Amino acid sequence: MKKKIVSVLLTATMAVSLLAGCGSSAAPAADTGAAPAEEAAEAPAEDAAPAEEAADSGEAADSAAASGDNSLTVWAWDANFNIPALQAAADDYKANVDDTFVLNIEEQSQSSDVENAITLAGSSGDYSQLPDIVLFQDHYIQRYVADYPDAWVDVDDADVDWSDFGEEKLSYSTIGGKHYGFPVDNGTAIFAYRVDLLEEAGYTIDDMTDCTWEKFIEVGEKVYEKTGKYLLSMDGDGNDLFYLMLQAEGQSQFKDGQPYITENETLVEIVNIIHEMCEKNVCYLANDWSDYTDQTIMGDMVAGVMNGNWIIPTIRQVAENSGKWEITNIPTIKGGGGYAANGGSSLYVTSNCKNPELAKKFLAYTFGGSTETYDNALRNGGVVTCCISAGKSDVYNEGVEYFNNTPIYAQIVEMGGHVPVVEQSDFHYTARQYLAAAMININNGADVMSELQNAEDQLKFEMEGAAQ
Amino acid sequence: MNKKGKSIGAKQRRAGWIYLMPATILLFVMSFYPIIQALITSFRTGPSSRMKWATPVYWNYTRMFQDKLFMRSVGNTFLYLLIQVPIMLILAILLAQILNNKDLKFKGFFRTCVFLPCATSLVSYSLIFKSLFATQGLMNSILTSLGILKENYNFLGNPGSAKAVIIIALLWRWTGYNMVFYLAGLQGIEYSVYEAAKIDGASPWRTFWDITVPLLRPTIIMTFIMSINGTLQLFDESVNLTSGGPANSTITMSHYIYNNSFGQGVANFGYASAMSFFVFILVAILAAINMKVGDTRD
Amino acid sequence: MVQRRLIPSYIFLIIVSFISVFPLYWMMTAATNTTVDVARGKIIFGSHLAENMSKLLAGQNLWGSMGNSFLYSLAQTLVAIFVCSLAGYGFELYHDNAKDRLFAILLLAMMVPGVATMIPLFKMMSKMGFLNTVWGFMLPAISTPFLIMMFRQNSRSFPVDIMEAARIDGLSEFGIYWRMYMPVMKATYAAAGVITFMNAWNAYLWPRVVMTDPKAQTMPMLIANLAAGYSVDYGVLMLGVLFCSIPTMIVFFVLQKQFAEGITGSVK
Repeated sequence: MKKKIVSVLLTATMAVSLLAGCGSSAAPAADTGAAPAEEAAEAPAEDAAPAEEAADSGEAADSAAASGDNSLTVWAWDANFNIPALQAAADDYKANVDDTFVLNIEEQSQSSDVENAITLAGSSGDYSQLPDIVLFQDHYIQRYVADYPDAWVDVDDADVDWSDFGEEKLSYSTIGGKHYGFPVDNGTAIFAYRVDLLEEAGYTIDDMTDCTWEKFIEVGEKVYEKTGKYLLSMDGDGNDLFYLMLQAEGQSQFKDGQPYITENETLVEIVNIIHEMCEKNVCYLANDWSDYTDQTIMGDMVAGVMNGNWIIPTIRQVAENSGKWEITNIPTIKGGGGYAANGGSSLYVTSNCKNPELAKKFLAYTFGGSTETYDNALRNGGVVTCCISAGKSDVYNEGVEYFNNTPIYAQIVEMGGHVPVVEQSDFHYTARQYLAAAMININNGADVMSELQNAEDQLKFEMEGAAQ
Repeated sequence: MNKKGKSIGAKQRRAGWIYLMPATILLFVMSFYPIIQALITSFRTGPSSRMKWATPVYWNYTRMFQDKLFMRSVGNTFLYLLIQVPIMLILAILLAQILNNKDLKFKGFFRTCVFLPCATSLVSYSLIFKSLFATQGLMNSILTSLGILKENYNFLGNPGSAKAVIIIALLWRWTGYNMVFYLAGLQGIEYSVYEAAKIDGASPWRTFWDITVPLLRPTIIMTFIMSINGTLQLFDESVNLTSGGPANSTITMSHYIYNNSFGQGVANFGYASAMSFFVFILVAILAAINMKVGDTRD
Repeated sequence: MVQRRLIPSYIFLIIVSFISVFPLYWMMTAATNTTVDVARGKIIFGSHLAENMSKLLAGQNLWGSMGNSFLYSLAQTLVAIFVCSLAGYGFELYHDNAKDRLFAILLLAMMVPGVATMIPLFKMMSKMGFLNTVWGFMLPAISTPFLIMMFRQNSRSFPVDIMEAARIDGLSEFGIYWRMYMPVMKATYAAAGVITFMNAWNAYLWPRVVMTDPKAQTMPMLIANLAAGYSVDYGVLMLGVLFCSIPTMIVFFVLQKQFAEGITGSVK
């Protein structure tokens, strides 16, 4: 019955388009409609691309055909960050292993586009649109493997020394004892300070290293008083702040698979610290992500930035502050350096991959520990490796002018080794979102415990919904 | 109209059916079939790849009313509806009335200006407004330099003002669009009707209420239904302008449903479908009431 | 004397026009400034247009996306106004009770929320192999109750008598539509075309779902591209927004007169 409707519809619309005089552009697509999905996917390249593009896409098709089995397609989303890293890996593999190798990097508009495409493919059971390899943020893979087990190919047998990666990073992509992903960027958190502004307030970067939050607030007040800048800012909407501060204490928002919020004394204390920081103009919570990056960091409102090290390119956008920054670890409640990680991503091989062996070989050779790949990834995209041995190269040990000629990248790789493993959950981002909402309300005068209770209730409500 | 019906023969009747078939089939396949699918899905739960029937089957529906966040999104959406739609439509009628004046000069220029916002895409204008109302943005610079604000105000960071910004953005984008419909409606009214009213000594206000509004009624109903429908399905502004924040205080129903379908890696299609079916019913009820209220002529 | 009476009207119109146009002016100035200047609220034209342009061209497939948007929108517009005008014509000029009832049912489709149908539609499109094709882009948006209604309303002004005359002259039923109805309804077609083109050009949510291939990217997706990422360049972003807005503005300017006439017919 359904088929019948579809075929009637097809004929009708086809006839219509021919009559309306746009048959030339639309008809080829209709012809392939009956053909296998793979072919249909090729169709838009021809009929959708405008004239100027035609030569270009024809070229791409040629080279793909010529290279036969030696091409892979990968999705990534940031032209200034992870795409140069993938390009570096492709060049490396091409130069040193197989000069016929082709890597097609398809840019998605944002990380959530990749995630949505996976959700859609998984839900409709149609993986034919997925590329060979996808890049996405680490917190999602556990859930995706659980929900769409047949969408992935494990990479356990790839030729990689897994022990060369930080344990914390691998804890995301290891599921049921099997490796699923190749770590790309390192999410290790840094605390970057404007040393010139610290100095104005009478402090140095050494005062901030291993310090307590109490001390941090004291410094922050001084800095604001003297310079009018906040010592910390954060995206209040996504709130990475809780997560980073909690992880630095070796804690999580989850315990034994359940939300661990109101009974988590450390978390409650952290909420109080954040509230105090906001009250005393030490910390500024931005409305959303772009407000955070564009207004607070690029708008030169802050004397300190704490986040995953991928925030560095954003800091560097303000050219006139070159040489004034340095980085160190993050404060903790009781003092003694804190280490955390936030928002790194990894590459995963999909079940739609036509040549999983090649994919594994390529990834193992490059992101598995090639100094050449990682050096160029750092140079061209600012992507910091998770691979400990690759972090020892000369490029990593060079001083960075913007950061007062300190070798920050070696520093970051070193810090990455200290990040504690904490309990993860499929509801990581959900938890963060509810806690962020609670924090905003608390800063607007609501009661701490009742807001946290609300967040916990909402989170439980959502988790029950998914478990039903 | 009926005299046409009588003259139609069997052959022509068949021709008529053929004419409306493509559109009808498309609507059935592209709108009704999916909404029935959504209805079925709304009785199911679990991850999207292996869903099962809910126990009890109406579980998603009972859950919906216990969900504080969904209820808040319903509240927000209705707030936009109740404040924005009336202001927008009144403003649109007013503008249309002014622009319909025969003696007015530069009519085309003004009409174009007012309509121009409609030509910008939803993504674009959300981004424009977001930048304008940023804490360090232009609006703050203007208001502080005029002395209206003492220090920069975080418009998008406070629940009340964030809602206000969404409403202002909606007004900016859609008033001109509605005005065009009214303007068209007004041009359909014979000028002699107004001449007659003037001779009878009716005030402009009375003329407006006694002549313009009744004659514009079909247009008003149409724009009302379109606006209700558009507002209840409001999505882009909530996503692009405020991301639903701060603390979910500006999130709309469609945005929340989208979050449950795609956001944060959660693909809770059963629950999302139940909520979208709720929206469908709400829109249908409101549109029906609107038509009934509007149709007081008989 | 007449002029003086109109002074409040002029003032009001000037204010409203200013508010309407200012954000667009600001968008244009932003396209010529650096991201830092934009973030700090500069409102005069800067000297970075060429720089922003080269950045935009280097980072994004601008011409490809413009071409895609143009092609998809044009295809959707042509097919949609054909399908919907045919239906509106059928509903009004061949109307009987059964058709009236069907029309009432079709109106319900206007109330179907987009988010609700997205997943079933995606499954349908992927089964039919329409992902990343112009079909996937436009099929769900071709037949809209709004357009059918508009054509149906406007068809009321179509003189029935000439249909009879045409039949006597031996013109086929379709011939009447093609040779007589379409020319007479020019203005309605223009108005419907403008509305459909704008909707198709500005569509974002659904294209983002079906057009997963970067080669099939449209302008709103390109803008979203620019607005995402770890750091956003506002100058480049606003230049992208400008490119995305120009075609719809041109369409509106060119068809403005017909647009107004066409709408007039629909609200009589």
